[in-house]
Amino acid sequence: MAYLGWAARKIGGALVVLWLVATAIFIGIRMIPGDPAEAIMGGPGSQASAEALAAARAEFGLDRPIGVQYLMYLGKLAQLDFGTSYSLKRPVTEVMGEVLPNTLWLALVSLAAAWLLALLFAAASMRASRLGSWLGSMFEIIAAAVPHFWLGSVLIMLFSSALGWLPAVDNGTAAGLLLPVLTLALPLAGFLTQLMRDSLAAAMGSQFALAARARGESRLMVFWRHGLRHASLPALNLTGWAFASLLSGAVVVEAIFARPGLGRSLLSAVLARDIPMVTGIALFSALVYILVMAVAEGIEKFIDPAGAGA
Amino acid sequence: MQKNQRAARVLSSALALGLVSAVLAGCSGTDTPSTADATAAPSAGGTLVYASGDAEPSCLDPHVGGNYPQALVSSQYLEPLFTKDAEGKIIPWLAESTEVSQDGLTRTIKLREGISFTDGTKLTSEAVKANIEHLQDPKTASSTGYLAVGKVKKIELPDELTAKLTLSAPDNALLESLSMPWTSIESPKALKRDQAANCAAPVGTGPFKVESWEHQKQVNLVRNEDYVAPVPEAGRSQQTAYLDGITWRFIPEAATRYAALQSGEVDVIDNAQPDTISSAAKDNALGHLDAPRPGASNRIELNSAKAPFDNAKVREAFIRSLDVNAGISSLYFDTAKRSYSLLSSVEPLGISDEALFTTDVAKANALLDEAGWTERDAAGYRAKDGKRLSVTFPVSTNQSVPAEQSLFQQFQASAKAVGFEVKIELLDLSSWYGALAKHEYNLVSAPYTKVGPSVLRILYHSDSTVPAPSGYFANNAQVKNDQLDKLLTEAEQTSDEAQRADLYAQAQKIVLEGYYVLPLYDQQNHFLYGKKVQGMGATTTVSSPTYYDVFLAK
Amino acid sequence: MSRTAKILSLAFIAFWLLTALAPSLIAPGDPLAINPAQAFQKPGLGHLFGTDESGRDVYTRVVHGARDSLFIGIAATALGMGLAIVLGTAAALSPRWLDEAILRVLEALYAVPSLLMALLIIAFTGPGVGPAIVAVGLSTAPGYARLVRSQIRTLRRSEMLEAATVLGRGPWAKVRNHLVPNALKPLLALVTLGIGQAVIWAAALSFLGLGTPPPAPEWGAMLSAGRTYLHLAWWMSLFPGLAIVVVAAGATLIGRALGGKVKAL
Repeated sequence: MAYLGWAARKIGGALVVLWLVATAIFIGIRMIPGDPAEAIMGGPGSQASAEALAAARAEFGLDRPIGVQYLMYLGKLAQLDFGTSYSLKRPVTEVMGEVLPNTLWLALVSLAAAWLLALLFAAASMRASRLGSWLGSMFEIIAAAVPHFWLGSVLIMLFSSALGWLPAVDNGTAAGLLLPVLTLALPLAGFLTQLMRDSLAAAMGSQFALAARARGESRLMVFWRHGLRHASLPALNLTGWAFASLLSGAVVVEAIFARPGLGRSLLSAVLARDIPMVTGIALFSALVYILVMAVAEGIEKFIDPAGAGA
Repeated sequence: MQKNQRAARVLSSALALGLVSAVLAGCSGTDTPSTADATAAPSAGGTLVYASGDAEPSCLDPHVGGNYPQALVSSQYLEPLFTKDAEGKIIPWLAESTEVSQDGLTRTIKLREGISFTDGTKLTSEAVKANIEHLQDPKTASSTGYLAVGKVKKIELPDELTAKLTLSAPDNALLESLSMPWTSIESPKALKRDQAANCAAPVGTGPFKVESWEHQKQVNLVRNEDYVAPVPEAGRSQQTAYLDGITWRFIPEAATRYAALQSGEVDVIDNAQPDTISSAAKDNALGHLDAPRPGASNRIELNSAKAPFDNAKVREAFIRSLDVNAGISSLYFDTAKRSYSLLSSVEPLGISDEALFTTDVAKANALLDEAGWTERDAAGYRAKDGKRLSVTFPVSTNQSVPAEQSLFQQFQASAKAVGFEVKIELLDLSSWYGALAKHEYNLVSAPYTKVGPSVLRILYHSDSTVPAPSGYFANNAQVKNDQLDKLLTEAEQTSDEAQRADLYAQAQKIVLEGYYVLPLYDQQNHFLYGKKVQGMGATTTVSSPTYYDVFLAK
Repeated sequence: MSRTAKILSLAFIAFWLLTALAPSLIAPGDPLAINPAQAFQKPGLGHLFGTDESGRDVYTRVVHGARDSLFIGIAATALGMGLAIVLGTAAALSPRWLDEAILRVLEALYAVPSLLMALLIIAFTGPGVGPAIVAVGLSTAPGYARLVRSQIRTLRRSEMLEAATVLGRGPWAKVRNHLVPNALKPLLALVTLGIGQAVIWAAALSFLGLGTPPPAPEWGAMLSAGRTYLHLAWWMSLFPGLAIVVVAAGATLIGRALGGKVKAL
């Protein structure tokens, strides 16, 4: 029953978040200077015909009072009708259905890779010498400080142009995924490791860790059984953030590596002032974020039942 | 030396065999390093991977809108009524013959027999009517093709293979207009589908057809197994294309595109950057096709309707203050030749006047003094009545490659030395059109591709300063000159070729000498290709490569 | 914080402050001076970091670029953190319904990827340095706010506070003596990182042509320009890239050292 209540509250919260995002976008569209119909059709440069503008006014009810417009807008969103992308001339949901899986896959693999790297670093730091530990922490700090689009270009130059080991663009194989995933995962891994390392040191020095050591458990054993669990919490707390940052990073990475996806659609939609598309992508990524958060929270509850309920 | 021979051999065989649509790279005298073994025989099979740097078209039918990326891809599955031979003469393609009435108002076009669209529909005169009507239909939202057939008033079909076009005024550019990919002929049956369906898979008569379109990733083209070459190539082992298909990918990042070519993931790239062309020339593993676009040259237009460029002296001062050649040579690695003409170097009727555009800083300063810009403000810029000599320069990041953006920054620095403040605004395409529509510019670089010198009327006739309902106008320099208007109108209507050349020469002289325009170079159109790719070189009249002759070495 | 670390940190901060405030002391040249004949010169004695595509000196540009890049990073982070402290603290200490409401607003802010939010804001204001600061600041705020809130909540449950409650200390004393120093420590690490990340986000906006306009020598804009010539002139990308990495990494190291100090207070 507790879980049912939890789920009900989650869904309610998610709906509120989506409503807030939708409302903010609605206000945003009205704040763009000039004719909103023109903005919907791609701005003054789109050379939209008078008929097209009239059609947009009718479709979005722009001739009605603003309150009615708002309700019409929400009504359509509730039916998952994001309208037709003006630049692609296709329904937004259809485009999204095509590109979303690509981006989700890229983001999930990158997230997993970042966690894997972070755990490996954290574990290695337990056993490393002073110098090794220092080198490790320098590496994390530098990794977290590298801009995505620079890293991506450097990796392509190195591994595709110069060495010819890995494909620069997606060719459907696992190898094609490697460079974009590295580009997204390395900075994030640097970030996660830094967060984990501090709490890890604290956890390893804690009462129960010392007690376990006194019981004769090895340092590595204690690390896996106790330290890691506590060290992961602050980083896990940031999973939602990490995922959102991966989605942002995907804008750049998908462009550099010529991958179809949400990020690339977003970039071209924003450049083309394709408001229906931008709205759709914003709400979709909000939805994705909420789902990821719910999963992360579930894991958090599992690892740290005492602190659950937050 | 062997490379040049190879290029020459392709050219001569093209001439001998009547192989059309061949604005060959070899013609323009640029380097075409080909790794082809001179004796390699064409072999069928294989899929070519093409990587385009342009934005993915939103519609694969070039009738809709009508931009260059659409021309590049549609040239593989659609064919026009006319084309040009290797000497630049207009010749029939899907058409078999054509004639025009004495008064120039009736154009009769006879089609070839035995050609079919890939949906099985036969090519008949009905198709010509359906296509021109499609271009003229406001619902199609055609801009390039719409202008090209603007003078066609009525279409009659005396028989199954003959179309009679009645014009509102004589138009000696009509055949050139009908040779462009934007007026290519599509299946009339397919045109009846709704626009979304037609955009996704236009149906033509070309050597390839659209199989599928994976949005944001690639368009898959497959060989048209029933292809009938309108002008058969003698001695060719098969009349269909050699390639099984073409994978048409979209890779916007220049560096990634080049890396993918280097590692062999793709076979051909377009929009090759000058530095990569230069290093590819040293590296014999890559071939280079230089196919400058026809129509206007790449140039900066000075808005003469607005201060300070409403004064011809200030326009000349700006142009004289710049060291254009030093910038082009360093930024373009000698892959782009400086132009002193309004028209592309592939246009035979273009005239060139280098003396007008030489750098002369002393003269620039003297002209500005004469024009009354004698004060200097705190930042070192010239001023008049307390107002700074400042000009706005919106630059489209979609249309100006990085090298061109850098060139403009150099202009900004050089013009500052004589007292101009140049404000460069980097804008996306939509905002850039918006800035032009609102006349918020003093300088602008707007490429325009069209076959033939009639592009001059579009760009410099005073009618083109009147905005369309959308706000768009092509005469960005805002040239309004009655004599020029008269010359441009007459030039388009005369049936005498020598008179046409003379009228266009006079018109160009007026624009050049008025300092409305600073020509830079041809519209750059460079392709690099891998060592497997053989037989590259043939292009359409707008210099988009065709892959009918291309094959992959085993 | 050891004495050496203190001296090194101060030297680091002093160096970048000097670079940002008086770049001409370190690089006397003009960062905008072009010389096409000298384009693409390799790093050497004449040009320490080489020259770019217009023959501008990369060393001079990197030094002069510190002002714009650091200013954007610091201003955006200050904006984001200011908002975050207000929202995060309010959420953590408020009654449940208000906490929930603030959380939903944060999640809504947070659920839209930063780059999209930045682009939306720029769509209203037009491109430029100011909008870039607001965009980056707003998009980082919810991240900070969540951490502020979660730190404060963790601490509220901690032994220290229980002890304080047992001792009958008032809420204000709890905030001042325990919450602020303990919540600030991880926050500082995040802020220092945040400055580096903000510089990178601003660079991403410049990369899209929406940040600092050329030819200003902002590091992100320089990186974008250098990317085109990466295989020809690596030095155009390497040095501005290094400047970003050095600033971001250095700030993180200092933040860590400072974090220890805050706890000791």
